[in-house]
Amino acid sequence: MIVVENLSKTYGAKKAVDDLSFTVSPGRVTGFLGPNGSGKSTTLRCMLGLDRPDSGTATFDGQHYRDFVQPLTHVGSLLDAGDAHKGRSARNHLRWIAMTHGFPTSRVDEVLQMVGMSEVAKTKVGKFSLGMRQRLGLATALLGDPRVVILDEPANGLDPEGIRWTRDVMRHLADEGKSVLVSSHQLVELSLVADDLVVIGQGKLISSGPISQFMTQHAKTWVRVVSPQLDVLITLATQRGATVERTREGADFSSITAIELGDLAASNAVVLHELSPQSGSLEQAFLEATDTAVEYRGEKTTNVWEAPRP
Amino acid sequence: MMGVLRSELFKLRTTRATKLVLATAVILPSVIVVLTSVFGFSDGSSASFSSLTAYAGGSSALVGLLMGVVGVLCSTQEYSQGTIRITLVATPQRYKVLLAKVCTVIIVSVGATASLIVLSIVPSNFILKSRDIDVEIIGPDIRIIFSMFIVITMLSLLGLFLGLLFKSSPGAISALLLWPTIIEGLIFALLSLAFAGNILRFAPIQGNGFSLTNEFRYPEDNSWVLSLGYFSAFVAVFIVLGTFFFSRRDA
Repeated sequence: MIVVENLSKTYGAKKAVDDLSFTVSPGRVTGFLGPNGSGKSTTLRCMLGLDRPDSGTATFDGQHYRDFVQPLTHVGSLLDAGDAHKGRSARNHLRWIAMTHGFPTSRVDEVLQMVGMSEVAKTKVGKFSLGMRQRLGLATALLGDPRVVILDEPANGLDPEGIRWTRDVMRHLADEGKSVLVSSHQLVELSLVADDLVVIGQGKLISSGPISQFMTQHAKTWVRVVSPQLDVLITLATQRGATVERTREGADFSSITAIELGDLAASNAVVLHELSPQSGSLEQAFLEATDTAVEYRGEKTTNVWEAPRP
Repeated sequence: MMGVLRSELFKLRTTRATKLVLATAVILPSVIVVLTSVFGFSDGSSASFSSLTAYAGGSSALVGLLMGVVGVLCSTQEYSQGTIRITLVATPQRYKVLLAKVCTVIIVSVGATASLIVLSIVPSNFILKSRDIDVEIIGPDIRIIFSMFIVITMLSLLGLFLGLLFKSSPGAISALLLWPTIIEGLIFALLSLAFAGNILRFAPIQGNGFSLTNEFRYPEDNSWVLSLGYFSAFVAVFIVLGTFFFSRRDA
C-alpha cells in the first residue's frame, strides 16, 4: 500500500505540490490524473526520493523509499522511457540495474521475454522507437518483481496492440495483489483499467476514491428518449423540473431519472421507442473536475484557418 | 555496496565514449614513449624511466587530463542520458552511489596508470636493450612512478566531481581542460607582474599537480610533500562541493 501524507514541494516561487494526501490500495489499479503542470511527475519523484519534498511523507507498506535496502523488490517504477543510455543494448541496460541488487542475468532475460523484447535484447537503445523504449522501461519496473508498481504515462508511443498489452499487464499485476499507480493522459484507456482515481490540479488534491464515485460526482448524466409523442413528454417532464435538449432523433433529458421518465410516460400513455440512461465519459468528467485547475490552456477563440489575412 | 560498485564498473565499460578516451589515455602516451625509445637516446648508453616520460612530453599530465575526462563522463553521462534517475531509484542511499563512483574512478585510474607504465617500460626496455642502452630505475623514478598514480587518480576524481557540479559534459570538460592549460597560466602570469619570485608554485595544478612528476625540482619550487598537499587540498575542495550538491540536489 502507498500512503502519501501532506506532501508539499516548492520550486522557487511555484508550489508544485501542495499538501497532497492519498492512498493506493493493493490489488487495485489507481489512475493518477491531472492537467499538464499539475504536479503529477513531481509527486512521483518525491515519492521515490529523487526530489526532496518541503514537507510530508510517502511510504510504501509503512516504509520510506530511501530506507529500502533492495528497493526494486518493493517498488518498480517507470518515470520516463527516455531514461536509458542510447549507446547501451537493452540487455546491458537491464544488467547494470540488476547488478545493483545482485539479480542474476537470467532474470534480465526473463523480463525481456515478458515485455516481448528478447529478439532485440542486443540492439542499442538509441535504435528503439518510443514504444520499444516504453517496453524496456516497463521491463525495468518489473525487474525486481515488486509489490508496488508506479508507471508514468506507460502507453505513450505504443501502438493499439501495445496499449492493450500494457492494460493487460496492469490488470494482471493488480490481480496478483500488487498496488499499481499509473499516471496517464489516455483517459479512455485508463477508464478501462483503473479501479480508483487520484485527481490533482495545481498541486492540490481534487478527488480521490473509486472511479465510480468520481464519475457520479463529476460526470454528466442524462436520459435519451426517442418517441413519436415527444412534445407531450417534454411538456410533462419540464413541469417536473427536468431540462431538455432536443437532438436529431429525439431529446436528452437531464435532472430526471430514467425510471421517473418511464413512469411519467406510462401514466400518460406516451409511446416510447427508446429510453436509455446516458453518462459522460471519464474525459468529460475529468475536464469538468479540473476546469478551474488548468494552468496551461489553449486559446479557444483562435482558429488558424480563420486568422486574419494581412 | 559491492553490487553498486560492480554496476558502476559495468556502466563505464558499456559506453563507447569512456572506452575510447580510456584507450587513448593508455595507448597514446605508450606509443610516444616507445617511439622515443626507438628514435631517442642516440647519444647515451643509459636511460632512466623518468627520462622516457620526459621525452614523452609529460605523459602523466596528458593521461591525467584524459582520465579526468573519463571521470567527467562517469557522472555527466548519467545526467545527459537520464539514467541518474534509475541509478538513484535503484540505490536511494546517495552516499553509496557516490562511494561506488569514487571507487570506480580510482580503480580505473590506477589500472590505466599501471597499464601505461607496463606498456611503456616493457617494450621500451626491450628496444633500448636491443640498442645496447641500459634502462635503470633510479631513486627519482620510484617517486615519479608513485606520483603518476597520485596525479592521474586525483585528476580523475577532479573530473568526476566537476561533472557532479556541472551536470553537463561540455561544462565540466571545459573547466577541467581550460583551468590548468589556460586560466591558471593567465592568472599566474598576471600575478607574476605584480609579485616577485616564483608565483607559479601557487598554481594548484600546473605548479603543484603536474610538477609532482617532474624529474628536477628547483630550490624555489614547493617541496614534493607541500606540492602534494596543496594539489590534494585543491581537489578536496571540489570533492566537498560535489558531494554536497549531489547529496542535496533534486535529481
